[in-house]
Amino acid sequence: METLVPVELYRKMGVIVGTQICTKYMKRFVYKIIQEGFYILDVAKIDERLRLAGKFLSTFEPEKIAVVSVRVYGQKPAYMMCKYVGCKAILGRVIPGTFTNPRLEYYLEPDVVLVTDPRTDRQAVIEASKAGIPVVAFADTDNKVELIDLVIPANNRGRKSLALLYWILTREILRNKNILAPKQDLDVGPEAFMVQKTVESES
Amino acid sequence: MAKGSLVARRIDIYDNVKPPLCTSCGKPLNPSSKAVSFYCPNCGVFLIWRCEKCRTQGSTYKCPNCGFEGP
Ligand SMILES: [Zn+2]
Ligand SMILES: [Zn+2]
Repeated sequence: METLVPVELYRKMGVIVGTQICTKYMKRFVYKIIQEGFYILDVAKIDERLRLAGKFLSTFEPEKIAVVSVRVYGQKPAYMMCKYVGCKAILGRVIPGTFTNPRLEYYLEPDVVLVTDPRTDRQAVIEASKAGIPVVAFADTDNKVELIDLVIPANNRGRKSLALLYWILTREILRNKNILAPKQDLDVGPEAFMVQKTVESES
Repeated sequence: MAKGSLVARRIDIYDNVKPPLCTSCGKPLNPSSKAVSFYCPNCGVFLIWRCEKCRTQGSTYKCPNCGFEGP
């Protein structure tokens, strides 16, 4: 089957690059280990899970999807996804009670939560667990999958990688909702989802 | 039509409130536990249940309808 974007683009944006650590569960998504000890993810499995997650998330009401990113490189991608899909972005620190305490100003009652990284977004994962909300997560080779219900294996640290991942997922959700035609693209490219590089930051 | 048993079984309250079973470990879910349910991400047909313990341990679940294995 044709991949959602060319395999070359997945490579170029660093989506397949894992870390030097691989947890037991994440081994199933690994393609190989390269010389420096970095695990490389299987592009076919990344693609398959993006497709699945797109289908899965499209079954929820857009405003009932919460998208979380404490990581700066995930914040613009998450924001853009919410802009296109109509979901709720939680950018930066997650306040305890966000999904469980209706008295909070930022209280949300989502039906599903998407996190950029199960570790950096741990507070959101815990909050979702308390409220009995399923969690979809981008997970790198070093991530644990505790309290996660659907994993999208991918480099969830890189600026370019996160832009492409969120862009693809956004497009998949909109295609599954018939807002976009099956082969139709968004009106912007993945660059529009990318945090701009500053002098001190690396890609 | 054959006549049923003379001693008709009364509808037991438990017939209606059978707790769902965890798709991973098969155990009945405690209503007060932090379990989650969602339709299978692959087929969208089967309602998957995961108990708090299986979620915390990252145990796999398998959809009995399509064979999808998660998380
Ligand atoms: Zn269980
Ligand atoms: Zn299924």
